[in-house]
Amino acid sequence: MKRNPLILAIGILLVAIVCLLLFVFQVRKSEVVVVTTFGKPTRDISQPGPHPKWPWPIESVHRFDQRVQNFEDKLTEGLTQDSFNVLASVYVGWDITDPKAFFPKFAGSSEPIAEAEKVMDRMLSNAKAAVIGKHPLVDFLAPNEGNKFAEIEKEILEVMQSQVKANNYGLKIEFLGIKRLGLPENVTASVFERMQAERKRLADKSQFEGEAEAQTIRAEADRKAAVVLADAGAQATAIRGKGEAEAAKSLTVFQQNPELANFIFRLSALEDSLKDKSTLILDQQTPPFDLFRGVSTNLTNPAR
Amino acid sequence: MSDHDLQLEEKPELAPGPERPFDAGSEALTEALRSSFWIVKIVMFLLLIVFLGSGFFTVEPQEQAMIIRLGRPVGEGQKALLGPGLHWSFPYPIDEYVKVPISAIQRVGSTVGWYATTPEQEQAGTEEASLPVQFPLNPLIDGYVLTADRNIVHTRATLTYHISDPVAYVFNFVNASNAVQSALDNALIYAATQFKVDDILTRDVAGFKEAVRKRVVDLVGQQNLGVEVEECLVQSRPPRQLKDAFDSVLKAALARQKVLEDAHSYEAQVSSKAGADARSLVNFAESDRSRLVNEVRSQADRFNDLLPKFRQNPSLFVQQRLTETLGRVLTNAQEKIFVTDGNGGGAAGLPKEFRVLLNREPPKKSDETKP
Repeated sequence: MKRNPLILAIGILLVAIVCLLLFVFQVRKSEVVVVTTFGKPTRDISQPGPHPKWPWPIESVHRFDQRVQNFEDKLTEGLTQDSFNVLASVYVGWDITDPKAFFPKFAGSSEPIAEAEKVMDRMLSNAKAAVIGKHPLVDFLAPNEGNKFAEIEKEILEVMQSQVKANNYGLKIEFLGIKRLGLPENVTASVFERMQAERKRLADKSQFEGEAEAQTIRAEADRKAAVVLADAGAQATAIRGKGEAEAAKSLTVFQQNPELANFIFRLSALEDSLKDKSTLILDQQTPPFDLFRGVSTNLTNPAR
Repeated sequence: MSDHDLQLEEKPELAPGPERPFDAGSEALTEALRSSFWIVKIVMFLLLIVFLGSGFFTVEPQEQAMIIRLGRPVGEGQKALLGPGLHWSFPYPIDEYVKVPISAIQRVGSTVGWYATTPEQEQAGTEEASLPVQFPLNPLIDGYVLTADRNIVHTRATLTYHISDPVAYVFNFVNASNAVQSALDNALIYAATQFKVDDILTRDVAGFKEAVRKRVVDLVGQQNLGVEVEECLVQSRPPRQLKDAFDSVLKAALARQKVLEDAHSYEAQVSSKAGADARSLVNFAESDRSRLVNEVRSQADRFNDLLPKFRQNPSLFVQQRLTETLGRVLTNAQEKIFVTDGNGGGAAGLPKEFRVLLNREPPKKSDETKP
């Protein structure tokens, strides 16, 4: 029976694929791989791409996610240096850096990542308690200058990193931050009471300050007005004085004959004072009524 | 493999063959084999097309894709990214493709700092209902942040960002959006520990928001998350337990403003009145001055006029002026009572006595109103 060359080619291709599947494995960029020879870890590969291996049961491949894992621990209580209870939880970004070291410690369980996080959770509780105990509360809560929040995070990170290194877990903490910061439940109520008292004080202060300030403004306004009026009064007096001085200049004219001047003043004063409705009571002494007396007028004597 | 199976299937037919006529049997067998080979070839060809065709995929406008060939991303940096459109890759297990929502805006909300509410409560607006002061906050249920002045306040943030480095976003992090959220939470409580409660709530809301944003940007940059922060919105609220207390402070501040405004308006009033009074004082003085000066001057002019006449005959002049003036005065005077002296009447030696009833006319106004 004659063989079709196409079928032959396909057969060879299939055999080649099977061989490739047995002797080659892929490493993805996001993965790191530990190769075990008869159960003993012999190689670790983090370079992505195809790699050769002996088929099972000689060598087997264990894959781990190489990317940064997110992990959050539980809220735990710590005592600050000045004896305040503080609750804190942190988040951690970590990744596997040394799979050969990581593998024997955690690969026994079905979930090596979760197993590693359980270990980290325990370490974190200790690290947090230790670091919080070294700081007074004011290091956590303070306006810009005194705030040591970032330093505290850094210290926890350092403690964690040194512990991870000492235990040779084959992983690395990439970053760590405090995710929650709180107070024990029974303390919050007393904080609220304090805050309420503070609010009351602020409200009162605002009111009193407002009134005091308003009063100051009013008093200042009154004072300024008084000053303005006093200035104006002084100016008015000065103007009047100037007027009098100016008038006094004209008075020199009258000095030519003070007698006449006096007479004229008196006449005009008399006229002014009797301008309006007025009642006059006269006797015969007053000229021109001296005529009534029937005597000769002054004219008779000097004229003749 | 399938061709072997097919060959095996043919064998049962081949077995009863020898009893039939050889020629016809072998011919039929060849015919059957040939046709089944054709069918197998067509099926294999179709399978190959389907296999290769499964490598097509589309990329939507808001995403980009990367091809991973044998575990390695194809291309470096920006070249690795495939834009929107139809693309082809070798099917698994040679190639894989990963889609990344790059231009789409991602959004995360903070998970700490806000009290427990349900969407229904938010919808109905009842989540703000005030609570008694003694009501504690359970840190496992209700979130809050601590402020620089050791107060408790609620705050939450929403962050929008887009992915700027998909390779880092996809290959360096198991869950990068989770890391962004943690960074946001951290930024929120970090910023809160540096601000006083009044700054967070009212006085420096923008500063607080900026502090949160800055911290997020810093963290995201340090951790190489491959994202770029677009916007960070922060909302803060006093604890429900202290709603009334905080409201009263606001009210007091408003009242204070009112009192101050009143004082300022009084100030304006007083100062404008004082200005007007001052001007009128000065004006009065000015008019007094000019009146006085004019009067004196006119008298002086008159004096100058009269002086030559007076010098001609002082006594006559005086008499003439006096009489003339008196005459004018008497004409103007309304009532004149003339008293003669001498023994007009009354007992001898007794001073004369007369009584005058002064009764001024009523003001003229009444005359005008009469008709």
